[in-house]
Amino acid sequence: MMTIDGLLRKRLVICVGAGGVGKTTTAAALALAGALHQRRTAVITVDPARRLKDALGIAGLSTEPHTVTAGRVRFDSLALDTKRTFDALIERFAPSPAVAERILANRLYQEVSNELAGSAEYMAMEKLHELVLGRHYQTLVVDTPPSAHVRDLLAAPNRLVNLLTSRAVSLLQTPATLLSRGPLSVGRLGLTALLKVLQRWTGVDLLHDLADFAAAFEHLVEGFHARAEEVNQLLRAPTTAFVLVTTLEPHTVETAISFHHELAVGGFPIAGIIANRVLAFPTLDESAALPPWSEQLRGRLLRNYGELHALSQRDQQAVKTLQSRTKSPLLAAVPAATRAPTTLAGLERFARLLL
Amino acid sequence: MRARRLLFVTGKGGVGKTTVAAALGQYLGTSRHRALIVETAMDGRLAHLFGHTDLSAEPRRLRAGLDAVRVDARQLVEEYFSRLLRFQMLSQRLLSSETFNALTAAVPGITEFLLLEKILDWIEPGFGGRRRGYEIIIVDGPATGHALKMLRTPRALASMVPGGPLGKTARRLLALLGDHACTQVLLVTLPDEMAVRETMETQHALEGDLAIRVARPVINRVFPRHFSGAEAQLIEQHRKVNGHAAQALLEAARFSIACRREAERHVAHLRRVLGVRPILLHQFFSKEVQAQHLEAFGRMLGKAVLEATNEGRAPKADFRGRTPVSVDDVNDDD
Repeated sequence: MMTIDGLLRKRLVICVGAGGVGKTTTAAALALAGALHQRRTAVITVDPARRLKDALGIAGLSTEPHTVTAGRVRFDSLALDTKRTFDALIERFAPSPAVAERILANRLYQEVSNELAGSAEYMAMEKLHELVLGRHYQTLVVDTPPSAHVRDLLAAPNRLVNLLTSRAVSLLQTPATLLSRGPLSVGRLGLTALLKVLQRWTGVDLLHDLADFAAAFEHLVEGFHARAEEVNQLLRAPTTAFVLVTTLEPHTVETAISFHHELAVGGFPIAGIIANRVLAFPTLDESAALPPWSEQLRGRLLRNYGELHALSQRDQQAVKTLQSRTKSPLLAAVPAATRAPTTLAGLERFARLLL
Repeated sequence: MRARRLLFVTGKGGVGKTTVAAALGQYLGTSRHRALIVETAMDGRLAHLFGHTDLSAEPRRLRAGLDAVRVDARQLVEEYFSRLLRFQMLSQRLLSSETFNALTAAVPGITEFLLLEKILDWIEPGFGGRRRGYEIIIVDGPATGHALKMLRTPRALASMVPGGPLGKTARRLLALLGDHACTQVLLVTLPDEMAVRETMETQHALEGDLAIRVARPVINRVFPRHFSGAEAQLIEQHRKVNGHAAQALLEAARFSIACRREAERHVAHLRRVLGVRPILLHQFFSKEVQAQHLEAFGRMLGKAVLEATNEGRAPKADFRGRTPVSVDDVNDDD
């Protein structure tokens, strides 16, 4: 059975979960926990809270590792910058600096490199591939963008490659021929119609940009293809582990279960679940003697306890549901705190709760 | 004709957007408006809150005066292109091609724009009085980042494609979104650092760049204030007490008081920065959202958001930037 200990011995730990469950904090705490176990660790975060960002020393969105010293241990932190990672990728795979420059200057590229469906997810995968290959870290913990579905995240490398290698893009490289007269096949007829629609949609200039973009990208396709394949393998490697981070509200639990299902179907290695913000106010012995509090105070204390107890029961039930429906171990249950950790000391307390 | 209203609900993931949208729907169901609630998440939660199993792509009656619909991005794209292509056979073929799917998935803004276009269609009466538009539309929108992207599309398109049917639609949408008497964005948030910060940034982007009116923010899951100041002090000092039960009661009280204080801190911060009083919704302690919660939330939200005429925000002179807002100042609205 997997434990936090075992988890921290993996080379790559990927935290997935719905938005707002404390994924970023958990990822950072896992890197810190790894460091407490004498491992060289780093965390890649996506959009951390400002004060956590400050604590991690990445206030200015840095894609270069920054060393964080927490007490007697150290770990590295990086923030993801989709656009810069994309740019770096173009520079790496372009056959010449001139081609790279042509793509980087393309208006369409500038718009889509941040906005293209899944590009943040793709670049998260890309960055971790680079870092894993770099072999500088023993454990790399990755926080993931808040995708609605795990598949958006994991299919991102393939999706981009599919787009780039699709026939549309190769035809778009020569839109002039497409729109000219000549013998028409049904397939070409369809594409011509589509292009005309897109032209109406976007204006001719943009279509020209698209053609230019597609033409320049042609040189990169092979590199992207190979890279996507490597990322796919890396994600399924035995040294990789996915951790499902969740809070215990009913709706969030359902999301976590569906994430788990998608991961399992995709054949990704799932280590287990980290439940965050768990309440634990057990059933009270009602016959117990209480101090001579006023009737009002006593009533209010009991009511307050009753409410927290109800939430605790909901949480306990949710943990059971999670375990039975995912058949995955609960790696840690982090008790609810009144506020999220925003300092290194707070993060260290969080990390020790995980261990 | 009554004034039309468009209310676009958004916020970070998991803050309770759907609950807020449903509560507003609940409220509208008791008023005499023709209202439509739009689900964009495709997870069936909205329907579930109203005791239905699923919604369809065509507006369907949830109860008297309240219809609901869900929008499916892929379906919108297909619809739009078949309308444009006109030839059924050709469009069928095209729509099933991988190429088409790859392209439309990649060209930014298509689905966002089409969703807005659909809303325009629902809110504006049909040609020649063919059908009446809805008086109030509530959109249970996507999470903040995506929502901002969506609300930006009309402007981007209007400048990119000045002419043609597309440009015309984009301009109509711009007018709709920029109409402060009609359109409001409702930001839902939680009493925690990240969520509050994001709310401020979003409000800034909406009001600044996009000139879209933003309603008073809604802070969800605020712990109720159970103890008076004197009681809180007593509970804080009452550390040495005999008996497990008494200790547990005090500990639980300290937890709630701390949660409440933390919430008040964020409420005050938000209020100071935005210059408006947030609408507070209490944490509820049952397993699921219940009809009574929706009704209570609905009444509060309905009054605060839908019945507030263009009151706008407090003038700058009323900012309470220097003096911290006291506990009593952020009393709940109920």
